[in-house]
Amino acid sequence: MPAKRIIPCLDVKQGRVVKGVQFKELRDLGHPAELARRYDAEGADELVFLDITASLENRGTREAWVREVAHELSIPFTVGGGVSSVADARSLLRAGADKVGVNTAASLRPALVTELADAFGRQCVVAAVDVKRDANLGWRVYLKGGTEPTDRSAMDWLWELNELGAGEILLTSMDRDGTGDGFDVQLLEKASQLPIPLIASGGAGLEIHFLEALEHGADAVLAATLFHEGILPIPRLKAYLAQNDISVRI
Amino acid sequence: MSSAPITLIDYDAGNLASLEGALDRLGLAHQRAATPDQAALTGPVVLPGVGHFEAARNSLRERGWWLALSSLAAEGRPILGICLGLQLLAEGSEEAPRASGLGLIPGISRRLGPGVKVPHMGWSRVRQLRPHPALPDPDGGWLYFVHSYALAPTVETIYLADHGRPFAAIEARGTVLGFQPHPEKSGAAGLLLLKSALAWMGASTPEPEAPCN
Repeated sequence: MPAKRIIPCLDVKQGRVVKGVQFKELRDLGHPAELARRYDAEGADELVFLDITASLENRGTREAWVREVAHELSIPFTVGGGVSSVADARSLLRAGADKVGVNTAASLRPALVTELADAFGRQCVVAAVDVKRDANLGWRVYLKGGTEPTDRSAMDWLWELNELGAGEILLTSMDRDGTGDGFDVQLLEKASQLPIPLIASGGAGLEIHFLEALEHGADAVLAATLFHEGILPIPRLKAYLAQNDISVRI
Repeated sequence: MSSAPITLIDYDAGNLASLEGALDRLGLAHQRAATPDQAALTGPVVLPGVGHFEAARNSLRERGWWLALSSLAAEGRPILGICLGLQLLAEGSEEAPRASGLGLIPGISRRLGPGVKVPHMGWSRVRQLRPHPALPDPDGGWLYFVHSYALAPTVETIYLADHGRPFAAIEARGTVLGFQPHPEKSGAAGLLLLKSALAWMGASTPEPEAPCN
Protein backbone atom coordinates (compact mmCIF):
# COMPACT_ATOMS: atom_id res chain seq x y z
CA MET A 1 0.00 0.00 0.00
CA PRO A 2 1.35 3.43 -0.85
CA ALA A 3 1.62 6.03 1.91
CA LYS A 4 -1.50 7.99 2.76
CA ARG A 5 -1.19 11.41 1.14
CA ILE A 6 -1.63 14.87 2.62
CA ILE A 7 -2.76 17.33 -0.03
CA PRO A 8 -3.09 21.09 0.41
CA CYS A 9 -5.59 22.64 -1.99
CA LEU A 10 -4.92 26.09 -3.44
CA ASP A 11 -7.48 28.31 -5.16
CA VAL A 12 -6.01 30.38 -7.96
CA LYS A 13 -7.52 33.51 -9.44
CA GLN A 14 -5.82 35.23 -12.36
CA GLY A 15 -2.47 33.71 -11.53
CA ARG A 16 -2.55 34.40 -7.77
CA VAL A 17 -3.41 32.07 -4.90
CA VAL A 18 -6.40 33.49 -3.08
CA LYS A 19 -8.34 32.74 0.04
CA GLY A 20 -12.04 33.44 0.10
CA VAL A 21 -13.38 35.28 3.11
CA GLN A 22 -17.13 34.72 3.51
CA PHE A 23 -17.39 34.20 -0.26
CA LYS A 24 -17.00 37.94 -0.82
CA GLU A 25 -13.56 39.43 -0.61
CA LEU A 26 -10.62 37.35 -1.72
CA ARG A 27 -7.34 37.68 0.10
CA ASP A 28 -4.12 37.36 -1.94
CA LEU A 29 -1.83 34.67 -0.52
CA GLY A 30 0.94 34.83 -3.13
CA HIS A 31 2.20 33.36 -6.38
CA PRO A 32 1.35 29.67 -7.00
CA ALA A 33 5.02 28.71 -7.43
CA GLU A 34 5.95 30.45 -4.18
CA LEU A 35 3.31 28.56 -2.19
CA ALA A 36 4.14 25.36 -4.04
CA ARG A 37 7.76 25.61 -2.88
CA ARG A 38 6.65 26.21 0.69
CA TYR A 39 4.37 23.19 0.80
CA ASP A 40 6.98 21.02 -0.91
CA ALA A 41 9.50 21.95 1.80
CA GLU A 42 6.91 21.39 4.53
CA GLY A 43 6.34 17.80 3.43
CA ALA A 44 3.09 17.92 1.43
CA ASP A 45 2.77 14.80 -0.71
CA GLU A 46 0.93 16.43 -3.57
CA LEU A 47 -0.85 19.70 -4.39
CA VAL A 48 -4.20 20.49 -5.99
CA PHE A 49 -4.66 23.86 -7.70
CA LEU A 50 -8.18 24.94 -8.50
CA ASP A 51 -8.36 27.75 -11.03
CA ILE A 52 -11.50 29.57 -9.94
CA THR A 53 -11.46 31.99 -12.86
CA ALA A 54 -10.71 29.56 -15.63
CA SER A 55 -11.83 30.99 -18.93
CA LEU A 56 -10.57 31.30 -22.46
CA GLU A 57 -9.16 34.76 -21.85
CA ASN A 58 -6.77 33.81 -19.10
CA ARG A 59 -5.61 30.49 -20.51
CA GLY A 60 -2.22 32.06 -21.22
CA THR A 61 -1.88 33.24 -17.62
CA ARG A 62 -2.73 29.79 -16.40
CA GLU A 63 -0.20 28.04 -18.61
CA ALA A 64 2.47 30.43 -17.37
CA TRP A 65 1.91 29.74 -13.68
CA VAL A 66 1.46 26.01 -14.24
CA ARG A 67 4.83 25.99 -16.01
CA GLU A 68 6.45 27.85 -13.11
CA VAL A 69 4.94 25.51 -10.55
CA ALA A 70 6.18 22.46 -12.51
CA HIS A 71 9.65 23.96 -12.60
CA GLU A 72 9.77 24.60 -8.87
CA LEU A 73 7.94 21.63 -7.44
CA SER A 74 9.46 18.22 -6.67
CA ILE A 75 6.10 16.60 -5.86
CA PRO A 76 3.11 15.92 -8.14
CA PHE A 77 0.30 18.41 -8.70
CA THR A 78 -3.19 18.48 -10.17
CA VAL A 79 -4.78 21.48 -11.87
CA GLY A 80 -8.54 21.75 -12.15
CA GLY A 81 -11.06 24.40 -13.04
CA GLY A 82 -12.91 24.75 -16.32
CA VAL A 83 -11.30 21.73 -18.00
CA SER A 84 -13.85 20.72 -20.63
CA SER A 85 -11.88 19.22 -23.52
CA VAL A 86 -8.84 17.14 -24.41
CA ALA A 87 -7.23 20.36 -25.68
CA ASP A 88 -7.71 22.07 -22.28
CA ALA A 89 -6.13 19.13 -20.54
CA ARG A 90 -3.28 18.88 -23.04
CA SER A 91 -2.29 22.50 -22.47
CA LEU A 92 -2.11 21.92 -18.70
CA LEU A 93 -0.21 18.64 -18.99
CA ARG A 94 2.21 20.13 -21.51
CA ALA A 95 2.84 23.00 -19.14
CA GLY A 96 3.84 20.42 -16.54
CA ALA A 97 0.76 19.47 -14.51
CA ASP A 98 0.74 15.79 -13.56
CA LYS A 99 -3.02 15.42 -13.51
CA VAL A 100 -6.08 17.39 -14.50
CA GLY A 101 -9.20 17.73 -12.42
CA VAL A 102 -12.62 17.61 -14.06
CA ASN A 103 -15.95 18.25 -12.42
CA THR A 104 -18.91 20.04 -14.01
CA ALA A 105 -17.84 19.37 -17.61
CA ALA A 106 -17.61 15.64 -16.90
CA SER A 107 -21.06 15.62 -15.38
CA LEU A 108 -22.54 17.43 -18.38
CA ARG A 109 -20.66 15.25 -20.86
CA PRO A 110 -19.40 12.01 -19.25
CA ALA A 111 -17.56 10.95 -22.45
CA LEU A 112 -15.00 13.63 -21.59
CA VAL A 113 -13.60 11.38 -18.87
CA THR A 114 -13.06 8.55 -21.36
CA GLU A 115 -11.53 10.90 -23.91
CA LEU A 116 -9.04 12.17 -21.34
CA ALA A 117 -8.20 8.68 -20.12
CA ASP A 118 -7.66 7.48 -23.70
CA ALA A 119 -5.52 10.47 -24.58
CA PHE A 120 -3.34 10.67 -21.47
CA GLY A 121 -3.94 7.56 -19.38
CA ARG A 122 -6.37 7.34 -16.50
CA GLN A 123 -3.69 8.21 -13.96
CA CYS A 124 -3.92 11.79 -15.30
CA VAL A 125 -7.65 12.11 -14.70
CA VAL A 126 -8.91 13.25 -11.31
CA ALA A 127 -12.70 13.35 -11.14
CA ALA A 128 -13.84 15.91 -8.60
CA VAL A 129 -17.30 15.31 -7.19
CA ASP A 130 -19.21 17.61 -4.81
CA VAL A 131 -22.00 15.96 -2.83
CA LYS A 132 -24.57 16.66 -0.16
CA ARG A 133 -26.54 14.23 1.96
CA ASP A 134 -29.97 13.59 0.53
CA ALA A 135 -33.06 11.84 1.92
CA ASN A 136 -33.75 9.98 -1.34
CA LEU A 137 -30.36 9.42 -2.90
CA GLY A 138 -28.13 8.98 0.15
CA TRP A 139 -25.80 11.59 -1.27
CA ARG A 140 -26.65 13.83 -4.22
CA VAL A 141 -24.16 15.22 -6.74
CA TYR A 142 -23.97 19.01 -7.04
CA LEU A 143 -22.33 21.10 -9.75
CA LYS A 144 -20.73 24.52 -9.94
CA GLY A 145 -19.18 24.53 -6.50
CA GLY A 146 -22.17 22.98 -4.79
CA THR A 147 -24.74 25.48 -6.02
CA GLU A 148 -26.53 23.40 -8.64
CA PRO A 149 -28.21 20.10 -7.72
CA THR A 150 -28.26 17.23 -10.22
CA ASP A 151 -30.45 14.11 -10.35
CA ARG A 152 -27.45 11.91 -9.74
CA SER A 153 -26.85 9.74 -6.73
CA ALA A 154 -23.24 10.18 -5.64
CA MET A 155 -22.52 6.46 -5.41
CA ASP A 156 -23.92 5.74 -8.89
CA TRP A 157 -21.89 8.60 -10.33
CA LEU A 158 -18.66 7.48 -8.62
CA TRP A 159 -18.98 3.97 -10.04
CA GLU A 160 -19.79 5.42 -13.44
CA LEU A 161 -16.71 7.65 -13.29
CA ASN A 162 -14.63 4.59 -12.53
CA GLU A 163 -16.11 2.83 -15.57
CA LEU A 164 -15.56 5.90 -17.75
CA GLY A 165 -11.85 5.97 -16.92
CA ALA A 166 -11.26 8.27 -13.95
CA GLY A 167 -7.95 7.49 -12.24
CA GLU A 168 -8.81 9.02 -8.91
CA ILE A 169 -11.79 10.57 -7.12
CA LEU A 170 -11.64 13.86 -5.24
CA LEU A 171 -14.78 13.70 -3.13
CA THR A 172 -15.98 16.80 -1.33
CA SER A 173 -18.77 16.75 1.23
CA MET A 174 -20.49 20.11 0.81
CA ASP A 175 -22.27 19.48 4.12
CA ARG A 176 -18.94 19.49 5.91
CA ASP A 177 -16.91 21.86 3.75
CA GLY A 178 -15.81 24.86 5.76
CA THR A 179 -17.31 23.58 9.02
CA GLY A 180 -14.19 22.09 10.58
CA ASP A 181 -16.46 19.39 12.06
CA GLY A 182 -14.64 16.50 10.42
CA PHE A 183 -15.00 14.53 7.19
CA ASP A 184 -18.19 12.65 6.34
CA VAL A 185 -16.77 9.24 7.23
CA GLN A 186 -19.87 7.29 6.20
CA LEU A 187 -19.54 8.78 2.74
CA LEU A 188 -15.85 7.87 2.63
CA GLU A 189 -16.50 4.33 3.78
CA LYS A 190 -18.93 3.76 0.92
CA ALA A 191 -16.82 5.52 -1.70
CA SER A 192 -13.65 3.69 -0.72
CA GLN A 193 -15.11 0.49 -2.14
CA LEU A 194 -14.19 1.87 -5.55
CA PRO A 195 -11.10 0.27 -7.09
CA ILE A 196 -9.44 3.68 -7.66
CA PRO A 197 -7.82 6.01 -5.10
CA LEU A 198 -10.07 8.29 -3.06
CA ILE A 199 -9.15 11.80 -1.88
CA ALA A 200 -11.33 13.00 1.01
CA SER A 201 -12.24 16.67 1.14
CA GLY A 202 -14.48 18.89 3.24
CA GLY A 203 -14.59 19.23 6.99
CA ALA A 204 -11.03 18.99 8.26
CA GLY A 205 -10.65 20.91 11.50
CA LEU A 206 -8.49 18.79 13.81
CA GLU A 207 -5.74 16.23 13.50
CA ILE A 208 -8.14 13.46 14.52
CA HIS A 209 -10.40 14.24 11.55
CA PHE A 210 -7.60 13.27 9.16
CA LEU A 211 -7.04 10.06 11.10
CA GLU A 212 -10.76 9.24 10.93
CA ALA A 213 -10.90 9.84 7.18
CA LEU A 214 -7.88 7.63 6.55
CA GLU A 215 -9.20 4.92 8.84
CA HIS A 216 -12.49 4.98 6.94
CA GLY A 217 -10.93 4.21 3.60
CA ALA A 218 -9.60 7.48 2.15
CA ASP A 219 -6.26 7.16 0.38
CA ALA A 220 -5.50 10.85 0.70
CA VAL A 221 -6.86 13.84 2.57
CA LEU A 222 -7.21 17.35 1.26
CA ALA A 223 -7.55 20.60 3.16
CA ALA A 224 -7.03 24.29 2.52
CA THR A 225 -7.56 26.74 5.36
CA LEU A 226 -5.92 24.62 8.06
CA PHE A 227 -2.70 24.51 6.08
CA HIS A 228 -2.78 28.01 4.60
CA GLU A 229 -3.37 29.65 7.94
CA GLY A 230 -0.67 27.56 9.58
CA ILE A 231 -3.23 26.23 12.07
CA LEU A 232 -2.05 22.69 11.48
CA PRO A 233 1.50 22.43 10.14
CA ILE A 234 1.96 19.40 7.87
CA PRO A 235 4.95 17.99 9.81
CA ARG A 236 2.85 17.98 13.00
CA LEU A 237 -0.08 16.31 11.23
CA LYS A 238 2.19 13.63 9.75
CA ALA A 239 3.87 12.96 13.09
CA TYR A 240 0.43 12.53 14.66
CA LEU A 241 -0.73 10.15 11.92
CA ALA A 242 2.49 8.13 12.15
CA GLN A 243 2.01 7.77 15.92
CA ASN A 244 -1.41 6.37 15.15
CA ASP A 245 -0.01 3.73 12.81
CA ILE A 246 -0.93 5.44 9.57
CA SER A 247 1.68 4.97 6.87
CA VAL A 248 2.83 8.46 5.86
CA ARG A 249 5.93 9.73 4.13
CA ILE A 250 8.13 11.45 6.70
CA MET B 1 34.34 14.18 -17.38
CA SER B 2 32.10 14.74 -20.37
CA SER B 3 30.80 18.24 -20.93
CA ALA B 4 27.77 17.24 -22.98
CA PRO B 5 24.32 18.26 -21.79
CA ILE B 6 21.77 15.61 -20.85
CA THR B 7 19.60 14.72 -23.83
CA LEU B 8 15.88 14.57 -22.99
CA ILE B 9 13.86 12.66 -25.56
CA ASP B 10 10.88 14.85 -26.47
CA TYR B 11 8.14 12.72 -28.00
CA ASP B 12 4.86 13.95 -26.52
CA ALA B 13 4.77 11.19 -23.95
CA GLY B 14 6.62 12.56 -21.00
CA ASN B 15 6.38 15.32 -18.45
CA LEU B 16 9.49 17.20 -19.55
CA ALA B 17 8.65 20.40 -17.68
CA SER B 18 9.05 18.73 -14.29
CA LEU B 19 12.17 16.86 -15.33
CA GLU B 20 13.75 20.06 -16.64
CA GLY B 21 12.87 21.82 -13.39
CA ALA B 22 14.57 19.07 -11.39
CA LEU B 23 17.70 19.19 -13.57
CA ASP B 24 17.84 22.99 -13.25
CA ARG B 25 17.65 22.69 -9.48
CA LEU B 26 20.53 20.20 -9.64
CA GLY B 27 22.50 22.56 -11.87
CA LEU B 28 22.70 20.01 -14.70
CA ALA B 29 22.75 21.16 -18.33
CA HIS B 30 20.10 19.58 -20.55
CA GLN B 31 18.49 19.86 -23.97
CA ARG B 32 15.34 18.48 -25.60
CA ALA B 33 15.66 16.28 -28.65
CA ALA B 34 12.56 15.48 -30.71
CA THR B 35 14.69 13.49 -33.17
CA PRO B 36 18.04 11.71 -32.75
CA ASP B 37 19.90 14.38 -34.77
CA GLN B 38 18.99 16.90 -32.05
CA ALA B 39 20.69 14.80 -29.38
CA ALA B 40 23.98 15.78 -27.81
CA LEU B 41 26.86 13.78 -29.30
CA THR B 42 27.83 12.34 -25.93
CA GLY B 43 26.41 12.26 -22.42
CA PRO B 44 23.31 10.72 -20.86
CA VAL B 45 20.10 10.18 -22.79
CA VAL B 46 16.87 10.24 -20.79
CA LEU B 47 13.72 8.51 -22.00
CA PRO B 48 10.78 9.78 -19.93
CA GLY B 49 7.32 8.38 -20.50
CA VAL B 50 3.72 8.46 -19.40
CA GLY B 51 0.66 7.05 -21.13
CA HIS B 52 0.10 3.97 -23.22
CA PHE B 53 2.96 1.62 -24.13
CA GLU B 54 2.04 1.22 -27.79
CA ALA B 55 1.30 4.91 -28.38
CA ALA B 56 4.66 5.84 -26.87
CA ARG B 57 6.45 3.20 -28.92
CA ASN B 58 4.83 4.43 -32.13
CA SER B 59 5.74 7.99 -31.29
CA LEU B 60 9.39 7.01 -30.75
CA ARG B 61 9.39 5.12 -34.04
CA GLU B 62 7.96 8.03 -36.01
CA ARG B 63 10.72 10.26 -34.69
CA GLY B 64 13.49 7.79 -35.44
CA TRP B 65 14.23 7.28 -31.77
CA TRP B 66 13.36 3.60 -31.64
CA LEU B 67 16.27 2.50 -33.85
CA ALA B 68 18.52 5.22 -32.49
CA LEU B 69 18.07 4.01 -28.91
CA SER B 70 19.13 0.48 -29.89
CA SER B 71 22.23 1.81 -31.63
CA LEU B 72 23.11 4.15 -28.80
CA ALA B 73 22.79 1.33 -26.29
CA ALA B 74 25.00 -0.88 -28.48
CA GLU B 75 27.62 1.87 -28.47
CA GLY B 76 27.54 1.93 -24.67
CA ARG B 77 25.82 5.31 -24.41
CA PRO B 78 24.26 5.81 -20.96
CA ILE B 79 20.45 5.68 -21.16
CA LEU B 80 17.95 6.30 -18.36
CA GLY B 81 14.31 5.29 -18.82
CA ILE B 82 11.77 6.74 -16.39
CA CYS B 83 8.38 5.14 -15.63
CA LEU B 84 6.95 4.05 -19.01
CA GLY B 85 10.50 4.73 -20.25
CA LEU B 86 11.71 1.75 -18.21
CA GLN B 87 8.92 -0.43 -19.60
CA LEU B 88 9.85 0.58 -23.17
CA LEU B 89 13.46 -0.43 -22.49
CA ALA B 90 12.25 -3.89 -21.41
CA GLU B 91 11.11 -6.68 -23.71
CA GLY B 92 7.43 -5.84 -23.77
CA SER B 93 4.30 -5.15 -21.78
CA GLU B 94 0.97 -6.83 -21.19
CA GLU B 95 -0.53 -3.43 -21.98
CA ALA B 96 0.32 -3.98 -25.67
CA PRO B 97 0.90 -7.70 -26.27
CA ARG B 98 1.52 -7.20 -30.01
CA ALA B 99 4.21 -4.56 -29.56
CA SER B 100 7.70 -5.49 -28.43
CA GLY B 101 9.95 -3.30 -26.32
CA LEU B 102 13.58 -2.37 -26.97
CA GLY B 103 14.80 -5.45 -25.09
CA LEU B 104 17.66 -3.62 -23.38
CA ILE B 105 16.38 -4.83 -20.00
CA PRO B 106 14.99 -8.38 -19.69
CA GLY B 107 11.40 -8.98 -18.69
CA ILE B 108 7.84 -8.13 -19.62
CA SER B 109 5.75 -5.64 -17.62
CA ARG B 110 2.66 -7.24 -16.14
CA ARG B 111 -0.46 -5.55 -14.87
CA LEU B 112 -0.54 -4.89 -11.11
CA GLY B 113 -3.29 -6.37 -8.95
CA PRO B 114 -5.73 -7.93 -8.33
CA GLY B 115 -6.44 -7.03 -4.75
CA VAL B 116 -4.85 -3.57 -4.87
CA LYS B 117 -5.88 -0.26 -6.41
CA VAL B 118 -4.56 0.22 -9.93
CA PRO B 119 -2.95 2.50 -11.06
CA HIS B 120 -0.46 2.31 -8.23
CA MET B 121 -0.37 6.02 -7.58
CA GLY B 122 1.49 7.58 -4.72
CA TRP B 123 4.48 7.24 -2.44
CA SER B 124 5.89 3.80 -1.75
CA ARG B 125 8.96 2.63 0.10
CA VAL B 126 11.84 1.19 -1.87
CA ARG B 127 14.69 -0.97 -0.69
CA GLN B 128 17.95 -1.99 -2.21
CA LEU B 129 18.18 -5.56 -3.46
CA ARG B 130 21.63 -5.18 -5.02
CA PRO B 131 24.14 -2.34 -4.69
CA HIS B 132 24.90 -0.31 -7.80
CA PRO B 133 27.73 2.25 -8.21
CA ALA B 134 25.29 4.80 -9.67
CA LEU B 135 22.76 4.70 -6.88
CA PRO B 136 22.62 5.39 -3.15
CA ASP B 137 21.11 2.93 -0.70
CA PRO B 138 17.55 4.29 -0.35
CA ASP B 139 17.29 2.78 3.12
CA GLY B 140 13.52 2.33 2.99
CA GLY B 141 12.95 5.84 1.62
CA TRP B 142 9.79 6.93 -0.20
CA LEU B 143 9.53 7.50 -3.94
CA TYR B 144 6.56 8.58 -6.07
CA PHE B 145 5.00 6.08 -8.46
CA VAL B 146 2.25 6.29 -11.08
CA HIS B 147 1.84 3.11 -13.10
CA SER B 148 -0.43 0.15 -13.79
CA TYR B 149 2.22 -2.27 -15.08
CA ALA B 150 5.54 -3.37 -13.62
CA LEU B 151 8.47 -5.72 -14.16
CA ALA B 152 8.85 -8.68 -11.84
CA PRO B 153 12.01 -8.47 -9.76
CA THR B 154 14.95 -10.72 -10.63
CA VAL B 155 18.28 -11.36 -8.90
CA GLU B 156 19.64 -8.41 -10.88
CA THR B 157 17.04 -5.88 -9.71
CA ILE B 158 18.59 -2.89 -7.93
CA TYR B 159 15.63 -1.41 -6.00
CA LEU B 160 12.51 -3.27 -5.01
CA ALA B 161 9.06 -1.86 -4.21
CA ASP B 162 5.77 -3.48 -3.37
CA HIS B 163 2.18 -2.99 -4.49
CA GLY B 164 0.18 -6.15 -3.94
CA ARG B 165 3.31 -8.00 -5.01
CA PRO B 166 7.00 -7.10 -5.13
CA PHE B 167 8.10 -5.41 -8.35
CA ALA B 168 11.28 -3.94 -9.83
CA ALA B 169 11.56 -0.24 -8.98
CA ILE B 170 15.02 0.18 -10.52
CA GLU B 171 16.77 -1.98 -13.07
CA ALA B 172 20.24 -1.64 -14.57
CA ARG B 173 22.05 -3.45 -17.36
CA GLY B 174 25.45 -2.08 -18.31
CA THR B 175 25.01 1.60 -19.14
CA VAL B 176 21.22 1.31 -19.28
CA LEU B 177 19.23 2.31 -16.18
CA GLY B 178 15.47 2.18 -15.68
CA PHE B 179 13.44 3.85 -12.92
CA GLN B 180 9.81 2.85 -12.37
CA PRO B 181 9.24 5.75 -9.91
CA HIS B 182 9.39 9.41 -10.94
CA PRO B 183 12.56 10.83 -9.36
CA GLU B 184 11.53 14.32 -10.52
CA LYS B 185 8.34 13.97 -8.44
CA SER B 186 9.85 12.31 -5.39
CA GLY B 187 10.99 15.26 -3.32
CA ALA B 188 14.53 15.41 -1.95
CA ALA B 189 14.99 11.63 -2.15
CA GLY B 190 14.17 11.70 -5.86
CA LEU B 191 16.55 14.56 -6.58
CA LEU B 192 19.38 12.69 -4.86
CA LEU B 193 18.62 9.61 -6.93
CA LEU B 194 18.57 11.60 -10.17
CA LYS B 195 21.78 13.39 -9.27
CA SER B 196 23.64 10.17 -8.44
CA ALA B 197 22.44 8.34 -11.53
CA LEU B 198 23.21 11.20 -13.92
CA ALA B 199 26.65 11.82 -12.41
CA TRP B 200 27.49 8.14 -12.97
CA MET B 201 26.16 8.45 -16.51
CA GLY B 202 28.60 11.30 -17.14
CA ALA B 203 26.44 14.40 -16.80
CA SER B 204 28.33 17.61 -16.27
CA THR B 205 27.70 20.33 -13.77
CA PRO B 206 28.31 23.80 -15.14
CA GLU B 207 31.53 25.55 -14.11
CA PRO B 208 30.82 27.78 -11.12
CA GLU B 209 30.50 31.34 -12.27
CA ALA B 210 33.41 33.62 -11.46
CA PRO B 211 32.51 35.94 -8.60
CA CYS B 212 31.98 39.57 -9.53
CA ASN B 213 35.27 41.19 -8.62
